[in-house]
Amino acid sequence: MPLRRVYLDNSATTPVDPRVAAAMARAVVETFGNASSVHGFGQQARAAIDRARREIATLIGARQNEIVFTSGGTESNNLAIRGVCEAAAVHGRHIITSAIEHPSVAGVCAELEKRGWEVTRLPVYGNGVVRIEDVAASLRSDTVLITVMLANNEIGTIQPVSEIGSLVRERRAVGQKHLWLHTDAVQAVGRLRLNVEDLGCDLLTMSGHKLYAPKGVGALYVRRGVRLHGQNVGGHQERERRAGTENVPGIVAFGEAAKLAREEFEQRSLHDRMLRDRFEDAVRERISDVVMNGDRERRLSHLSNISFRFIEGEGLLINLDLEHVAVSTGSACSSGTLEPSPVIRALGVDDELARGSIRFSFGKDNSEAEVDYAVEVLARAVERLRALSPLTVGSR
Amino acid sequence: MIADETNPICGDRMRLSLVIKDNRIEAVRYLAYGCPPTLVCGSVLTELINGKTTAEAKQLTRADLLESIGGLPSRKHHAAALAIETLKAALEP
Repeated sequence: MPLRRVYLDNSATTPVDPRVAAAMARAVVETFGNASSVHGFGQQARAAIDRARREIATLIGARQNEIVFTSGGTESNNLAIRGVCEAAAVHGRHIITSAIEHPSVAGVCAELEKRGWEVTRLPVYGNGVVRIEDVAASLRSDTVLITVMLANNEIGTIQPVSEIGSLVRERRAVGQKHLWLHTDAVQAVGRLRLNVEDLGCDLLTMSGHKLYAPKGVGALYVRRGVRLHGQNVGGHQERERRAGTENVPGIVAFGEAAKLAREEFEQRSLHDRMLRDRFEDAVRERISDVVMNGDRERRLSHLSNISFRFIEGEGLLINLDLEHVAVSTGSACSSGTLEPSPVIRALGVDDELARGSIRFSFGKDNSEAEVDYAVEVLARAVERLRALSPLTVGSR
Repeated sequence: MIADETNPICGDRMRLSLVIKDNRIEAVRYLAYGCPPTLVCGSVLTELINGKTTAEAKQLTRADLLESIGGLPSRKHHAAALAIETLKAALEP
């Protein structure tokens, strides 16, 4: 077997595209002005930010001035949820979210709960998808925010955000004016065609490092008219929504990445899906006792979450890493907690299967040869661990 | 002599199979389910007790095992505890 490093963890982060890196490097050196400065250096920085802002806005069908740059997805989620809730608290203190949100959403909701907010967490059933009937049934006159991710990071399932958007518009039309819809689209951006009008969302979170841009930059779409309390205050940047001297190189990189994502959308989608399907077909053929997690249809096309019976996820991950294949696991041991992934558990899967789950996420830099190599390594590792496991059926 | 133990908190499991003749461990095999430290503790345990008398094996502590491995982060010490528990259960008269 050739010695190579195979990176199949694109949902954790993506390698920076060389074109993005080049744009960023130029900006670091050449565009050093403070965008708030009146002079030419400042205005050059301002123009660079605005160009990037246009690209981000175009990618999601938004207006330029509806894009707020942040330090990443987590900050965008914090800004969206805290910002809207603080502004809307006089009208109600009820939030609806899902059971499978990213920790940055779940964490903020839990924080608000400690401060007296009520939080309804919608179940996702065996297929990992929220049901619109549950959303409707949970809506109250004092609900001010619904936050449901567009695509889940562990299992890739796509939530019915546009249906929720329609529901929200209906409720507003009959008088519930202070009801907002936020969606964490970090995993979906660049992988699903997004349009904030079609989604009907008021806020949408994006992250640079999931889109072949570097870490440390993200954005929040805030629909015109949404009242939001800034969380980083003490400056006028981002139209008073997020104070702080702008990270020009990061923003330039994000803009370049967004442009490439839009231009190369078709080929990337086809490529990722082809690799993922090739991988899953080979796994089904080569390895027994596997369970594919998450709805087969309503999911992102680059991601595969699989539980391997009788063995534990971290052990499998380490074995793969020793042969230079990088993946991630929902197993508790890996994250340092005692609970297996809440997302896998929310599917109703038993503990053993939850512990044995691995996420494989493909990207534009992966190849068929890499997929084939990964399957070989995986099959051997699973066999080794199963031989060692007291749970393996028919063992001794 | 076969013993099965489970860590109730994280669900790790170990099975130890011993062949004992004249109070000496002639052969030992292990099976383990759990995170890598658990797998490693099982493996190292078998190396440490193979060929020893049952009296000697009963002396083996968690600390001995951890030292042989070269140490583990404290949150992974449960792996060594599970191994020793399984050994104790296997050596019960």
